[in-house]
Amino acid sequence: MIISHKTALNVLYSMFAIFSCLALGKFCSYLAPILPSSLYGLIIFTLSLHFRFFNADKIKGTVVWCIKHMGVCFVPPGVGIINHFELLQQFGITIVVITFATTFILLTAVGLHYQRYAVDEA
Amino acid sequence: MTLTELLSSHLLSSFITVVGTIALFQSLAVLQGKLKVIWLQPMLICILVIIAFLLWQDISFERYFSNAWLLNALLEPAVVALGFPLYQHLETITKQWKSILFVLALGALLAITSSFIITLLLLGDYSIAVALSLKSVTTPIAIAIAEQLEGNTAITAFAIILAGIFGAIVGPPWLNFIKVTSPKAQGLAIGAASHAIGTATVSNISYQHAAYSSLALIVSAVITAITSPFIINFLASLL
Repeated sequence: MIISHKTALNVLYSMFAIFSCLALGKFCSYLAPILPSSLYGLIIFTLSLHFRFFNADKIKGTVVWCIKHMGVCFVPPGVGIINHFELLQQFGITIVVITFATTFILLTAVGLHYQRYAVDEA
Repeated sequence: MTLTELLSSHLLSSFITVVGTIALFQSLAVLQGKLKVIWLQPMLICILVIIAFLLWQDISFERYFSNAWLLNALLEPAVVALGFPLYQHLETITKQWKSILFVLALGALLAITSSFIITLLLLGDYSIAVALSLKSVTTPIAIAIAEQLEGNTAITAFAIILAGIFGAIVGPPWLNFIKVTSPKAQGLAIGAASHAIGTATVSNISYQHAAYSSLALIVSAVITAITSPFIINFLASLL
């Protein structure tokens, strides 16, 4: 697979944008530890694109690729369930059932409410 | 073993772990793309296959996790990248900020109260009730609040992963089934219920899903961080 000079530069530019927003996010999280640094970084990245600090056209390709493949990054923390098997033995299936049931309630309530009352607002 | 040998063996095992995890995930993604089966969710199956492999080979999670450090290191930048779809829909979102804020505040309240009350009634254990009431927000926030409120942090971590995977797999088909077909509503619901894991999954459906799910991820985290200590203390005093 041959990557063009322009694509390579856009990837570097996107990485610079993402990592500088993350660095700022870490600083914000240090100053006001309300949110984790990645969420501060997300907000800063959105605002920096909105106020044209970074060129969205140059970033788009890389970010689309990142978002498409980001699921794999959640696999190692997910495997962490292996460390909690004894919790399942201790408290049985109740924890799993409560988690599933309440997640289900939340999905339904937020989805239905927003679609019914707010979706046609804009 | 010399330091060089130790480093090279760690680098080699890290390389094998990261490449192996990516290859497995991508193969499952290709397979799901072809078969279109809901339960064949690449993240879930990949986790289950790796757990089975670790148990079979008697490898500890700590060893796997330290070898998969690269994937873990990319987690934060990947979450930052979600700012792009949010930027693309920022104008529409700003116009609807009141209804979005209202529905997400309602969602956060529902997530905390329903889990806390049901758990306390069924198990009668305060620390587990606190742990489960925080499962819908992102891990660093939930763990910090669980510690503050004397909740069980191990159960918090476990329930967060479970809620994330469950919402990511069941969320889109269930919402379609109950006729919640708007990408905005689906994005908000999955971001509010299944945090970053759900957001990562629905981001592949459409950019609108990604934008609204990312928004729900942030807003729900802020609302929960601010309100949960008050709500949980209030409910605990009542029950």
